[in-house]
Amino acid sequence: MVNSLTNPLNIIIITLLSSFLLPLIYQKSEQRAVNLFFAVLAAFVVISLSGYLQLLSGLPTIEVLTAGIEPPFSINLRFGIEEAFVTLAINVAALLGAWYLLPHLKTNAPLMLLFLIWIMGMNGMVMTRDLFNLFIFVEITAISTFVLIGFNRHNETLSAGFKYILAGSLASSFLLLGTMLLYFQTGTLNIDDLVAHQSLLTGPIGTAGLVLIMTAILIELKPYPANGWGLDVYQAAPTGVSALISVGVSASYLFALYKLLPLFDTLLPLIAIAGGLTFVMSNFMGLKQNQATRLLGYSSVGQVGLLVMALALLSQTNQADHYLLIAGGLFINHFLAKAGLFWLAGLAAEKDIKHWSHLKQHPVIFVLFVVLLAALAGLPPFPAFWAKWALVHTLVESQHYIWVGCILLGSLLEAVYLFRWYGYAKSKTNETAIVCQARQTFPIKLMVALLLLCGHAMAINFGLQPERVLLPVYAALAMLLLHKQPSYTKALVTLLITGIFTLQVLPTLTGLSWIFGMIFLVGSWVLTIGSLYKGTEQRPSYYPLLVMLILSLGSLLLATTTLEFFLAWEFMTVSSYLMVSLGKNAEKSSLQYLAFSLAGAFFILAGFALAYSETHSMQLSSFAQLAEHTVMIITLLLFGFLIKLGGLGVHVWLPGVYTDTDDDFTAIMSSIVSKAGLFGLFAVGIHITTQFNDIEALMFVLGWFGLVMALAGALMAVFQEDVKKLLAYSSVGQMGYIITGFALTSHMGWVASMYLAVNHVLYKGLIFLAIAGVLYRTNTRLMYKMGGLIKNMPISFVSVMIGIIAISGVPPLLGFGGKWMMYNALVEKGWYLQTAMAFFASAVAFLYLFRLIHTVFLGQQKTEHADIKEAPITLLIPQVFIMVIILAFSMFPHVLIEPLSTAISPYIASTITWTGHLLETKQGYWNGFMVMNVVAGIFLVPLFILWMLSKVTNIQPVKQFNIVFAAERPESPETTHYAYNFYAFYEKALGFLVKPNAIHFWDASAEWAHSFGAALRRFYTGNGQTYMAIILMYLGIIYLSMRAI
Amino acid sequence: MDIWISKIGYYFLNVGIVLVYGLLLGAFIAKTMARVQGRIGIPIYQPFIDILKTFTKRQAISHGIMFNLGPAFRLAGGLGTLAFIPVIYGNEMFSNFSAAGDLLLVMYFIFFGQLGMALGSGESGHPYAAMGIGRGLAQMTAYEVPFTLAVVAIFIQYDTSSITEIVAAQQGSIWNWTLFTNPLAVIAAMIAFLGMAAYPPFDVAMAPNEIPIGPPTEFHSHFLSMMQMNRAIFAGAKLILFMNLFFGGATGLIELVFKTWAIYMVAILVGAAFPRFRTEQAVRFFLGVPMLIGIASVLYIQYWAQ
Amino acid sequence: MFQDLLNTPLSTVVLITGFILVLIGLWGMLMHKNIIRIIVGFTLMDTGIHMVMVAIGYLTGGKAPIIEGANKNIVYVDPVPSALVLTSIVIGLGITAIMLSYAIQIHKAKKSLSIDDCAEMKW
Repeated sequence: MVNSLTNPLNIIIITLLSSFLLPLIYQKSEQRAVNLFFAVLAAFVVISLSGYLQLLSGLPTIEVLTAGIEPPFSINLRFGIEEAFVTLAINVAALLGAWYLLPHLKTNAPLMLLFLIWIMGMNGMVMTRDLFNLFIFVEITAISTFVLIGFNRHNETLSAGFKYILAGSLASSFLLLGTMLLYFQTGTLNIDDLVAHQSLLTGPIGTAGLVLIMTAILIELKPYPANGWGLDVYQAAPTGVSALISVGVSASYLFALYKLLPLFDTLLPLIAIAGGLTFVMSNFMGLKQNQATRLLGYSSVGQVGLLVMALALLSQTNQADHYLLIAGGLFINHFLAKAGLFWLAGLAAEKDIKHWSHLKQHPVIFVLFVVLLAALAGLPPFPAFWAKWALVHTLVESQHYIWVGCILLGSLLEAVYLFRWYGYAKSKTNETAIVCQARQTFPIKLMVALLLLCGHAMAINFGLQPERVLLPVYAALAMLLLHKQPSYTKALVTLLITGIFTLQVLPTLTGLSWIFGMIFLVGSWVLTIGSLYKGTEQRPSYYPLLVMLILSLGSLLLATTTLEFFLAWEFMTVSSYLMVSLGKNAEKSSLQYLAFSLAGAFFILAGFALAYSETHSMQLSSFAQLAEHTVMIITLLLFGFLIKLGGLGVHVWLPGVYTDTDDDFTAIMSSIVSKAGLFGLFAVGIHITTQFNDIEALMFVLGWFGLVMALAGALMAVFQEDVKKLLAYSSVGQMGYIITGFALTSHMGWVASMYLAVNHVLYKGLIFLAIAGVLYRTNTRLMYKMGGLIKNMPISFVSVMIGIIAISGVPPLLGFGGKWMMYNALVEKGWYLQTAMAFFASAVAFLYLFRLIHTVFLGQQKTEHADIKEAPITLLIPQVFIMVIILAFSMFPHVLIEPLSTAISPYIASTITWTGHLLETKQGYWNGFMVMNVVAGIFLVPLFILWMLSKVTNIQPVKQFNIVFAAERPESPETTHYAYNFYAFYEKALGFLVKPNAIHFWDASAEWAHSFGAALRRFYTGNGQTYMAIILMYLGIIYLSMRAI
Repeated sequence: MDIWISKIGYYFLNVGIVLVYGLLLGAFIAKTMARVQGRIGIPIYQPFIDILKTFTKRQAISHGIMFNLGPAFRLAGGLGTLAFIPVIYGNEMFSNFSAAGDLLLVMYFIFFGQLGMALGSGESGHPYAAMGIGRGLAQMTAYEVPFTLAVVAIFIQYDTSSITEIVAAQQGSIWNWTLFTNPLAVIAAMIAFLGMAAYPPFDVAMAPNEIPIGPPTEFHSHFLSMMQMNRAIFAGAKLILFMNLFFGGATGLIELVFKTWAIYMVAILVGAAFPRFRTEQAVRFFLGVPMLIGIASVLYIQYWAQ
Repeated sequence: MFQDLLNTPLSTVVLITGFILVLIGLWGMLMHKNIIRIIVGFTLMDTGIHMVMVAIGYLTGGKAPIIEGANKNIVYVDPVPSALVLTSIVIGLGITAIMLSYAIQIHKAKKSLSIDDCAEMKW
């Protein structure tokens, strides 16, 4: 029946044999003992692997009988596909872990021996089907763990180990007692037999037995709050051991729980609560943690809690096909990523995560670190991403909304503290390099490779083509290989890759997608040219991430299902976050960006899941069939997209991000990436045109929201001294109009919205590039430190001038078209007061636009800026290109409006008509071509006068300070340049409207979350007896809740 | 093509009329004010002399190209605003290029000259110029609110944003004027007009009575002459716009002269009677009662009048 | 009353004693600061559990489970718990040994046997 060599029982037999041999051989030769040691571990892997492969190929489950008697009268082991998978994972981790721990292990034969027994115990726990046998394997594992923890005999390790023993011995006592009570009640110890005789377990003794066993296993899985000892162990134990405790030991206990779940039918809600509580609480506490290994401990505890919760909830929903996918995905993700991170923490040899910046000196390790963090945070393409997707969908379908909330909240918190860690590693404080050899990084590299492989497999499992949907990641990884090349090369390769991609993708798009394709792909291609001006810098990760970002924007366009959309969305979020984090001092702002972006993504996920629960289809087009939950779904999605758009209230990430990122990336961020939210709105919006009546109230609110945002954005921009902040708030304001346009849900509203969006791409790209040149030359972002730069940087000045005319909507440039259609659409809809509001907001915009151009380019020049040059040519080329486009669109607005109108008219009937160049709506008309000609013609008049007079008049250029200034000739530009606190009077009048309430609110929320985390961990006094008392109380509470059920 | 040549010819005729009228109006107001204050005042042709004088100055100073272009932008702004407004109703000669766009175009084109001017004077490096522009812009954002509300009310009332059609709707009887069909909107708009005209109490941006503040601070010689021309044209254009929107437009030159003079007198009378607001006071003022009147006019038209 | 107590089956007495031992052991583990005393508490608890196990398997009047022939009338004591007890005694011994060795190492490292001195890690 079973190939005798690969019989899983051999794992136990080999261990027992080698435990006699190892010490003997060690006496003769250390090297041979090590060889034997690895041979045994390799044999474990081979056995479980071959078993796994056999089972995959369809062979039946292997039942191992002992003593030649059928169960229940003998102990039996089972080796099915699940067991095979888990043992394979454990054994691979063990092999790599042994490799990692070898310098410690080989000093001592008993340690190697214990290690083998330890792994054997875990394997046994997975395979056994006998309750008492389970107890024995638990004890075998526990005893070896106790010893392995303590082998380095540090103070902390000893304390942690002893606490672990106390807690462990309590848990195993529960297990033993519970086992005996069940035996007393049923007369059997076989798990399958117990399940069959479940009806016998309803009495008080049976219940007590079940509660004891369940508590024992839960305790070993370290539930909040009875897990202080576990955290101490994670913190203090040698990282190699911690890694295996976190993954291997936890895996075997999880599997034990999984095996026993049928027994705990009535206890499932309790188990789910225990898991969910642990997941959320430990992630709250993780926020306050600075010790690397303890942080990983919190994360481990949380992940295991999530798995426990998922196991309990899913077994209630009876969705067997999802069950393995979700649990397996979550499990393998935690397994690989956590092991990798623990090992990495060992290599880093730095306790405080604030001092992890030495990692940066070692690029390979740094990349590994980032990948592992991303995997742990559940970002794509790693298995947890897929598992969470399926988990959320399943839970929403079975209406477990609160649990979904818990999962998303916990995941968000976890991502925040993990990436804060990344931020510390990114920051520049510690310059001493990390010391390690390739031999030590090998297991970590393997884990990362396995993670990618699993992610790839999961994509296939979800019916996607990984080479297409995961292209952004693979392209970015391929780009990393170029990291030694100069920046020029990388930029050119980037342009090449994205260019080819654009040529491939763009022809396949139609309608709105095509327009967004032009924005995303062509737009970013043009702006990428600008980045060449930093050609001398190395920028090792800038270009790989840029490729990833652009490709993910492309994938977003190609998405037809919610899954593809969400996947591309997450890629975009991650890549843009990492790009933001590359900026100097961007730790705080990039973390904010990540937190908000992920929260947004989770709203989107929830919305998609809710839609799926109604339509049972992942097609975006299936949104047309929504009926029951339309308003809720659209609200959720709106939250998600608005966060990306920098919606008012959640805009707080935006100024910091725009300010702290590299100047050339700010252009891409503001003009391109921010449109992704708009694309999301439209991608969903075009499918729900028949349900507009249902969401009318929602859209009314959204319309006002957009206008308030437009006004607030403009007002906040007015009061900024920092040029990038000014432009950032300006973006908030402009996005407000675009949102309102969308909210109109009319043809003209959408055309206006899209028109404004295209316009925003053009002028914001233009202005940010021009400002990038200015910042590059002046090295300051404060506008009052500049001034009079028109003389040195005339082309940049013209760029900004064209840009601000385009923003302000002053004819004849294309900005006017957007305003005109916007007002027409507002009036058409009957939103009259909103029209006035929009007008007011656009008037306020004049204030900051004038301030921008005046304080930077006009007024008095600073002495130190007398000799600066025009911006680098690579920055000017895209600017000139954009200016030409702006002028062309201004001259021939129908070239822009007609495609927009035809792209939207399939969804909403058109209400505008064209006669030649004349655009007409119900209320008004506009002939952009004629306006342009009239203005150009009229402008000739004063120009002619000027030219004529210059012939007869002696126009004399004067020097800088030659002005009539209160009968005095000024000599210091600092005191003469009117720039600082430019609109003091306006602040007096209206400043109260823009008190930073949102910032205070979010700061307070963050503070509250941290304080909450701090309060939660008051349980962890460090005292072993307290921990024991908590465990006892935990048992009591579970028992009482059980009685209550 | 012929149509266009004649259109351009008619347009320059319009410009000439409005320029002369604007200059005369300015002189007339100055004279009126002087008489009120018991002075003799300037002769009625004084503005023409001023322009001639500044035009023939032999020397000018320049702070740079944008500085030179500022007045050009300014004048083009005035000319352009006029170009998009039909001056006399029902007369092809006086319709200008109003076929290019509606009221919204005019409202936004008003900013064209101001923006160019702001840039030009900014290059002079004179702090007063920037200060004046900042104050002016701040005040502008505020008075635009009641004005926009009034305009929106008109949009609703006449269901069009075409100036020609708005005037057409007011023909027939004096009672068809917006002044009588929608008085709230007119009140709001006229208060806004006080701000636009930059007479007291809203003249802090220019502060013409003491140290000169504002865009023209550094401009001399023919730069100044262009700005003087623009002031006449621009003021005329704005008056015509108000006349068209609220006072039934004009069907002949006499009616035009009388109505615009009357509208202008409102600003003058108020200006003669009030002291000056500080900028923040002006901003708060417009966003107070005038804004509420404007909102009331919109709500009135939206819910009661129809 | 007293008679009733005397008539209590032996297994019940063992059972109750076992539970009392478990409680005493727990009390010792929770209340004593000295690590050695905690270990003693643990062994008491362990022993208590073993007694409970034995008591569970015992049937009043049962014979040792050595089956000779197929006499259905003889009540045998369940052999399984007794077998399991042996295993768990061994395990308990192992754990006690490790605890004691930890105690030695802790004493070496910290010169103290108080559990309160093992609280350097918290939160």
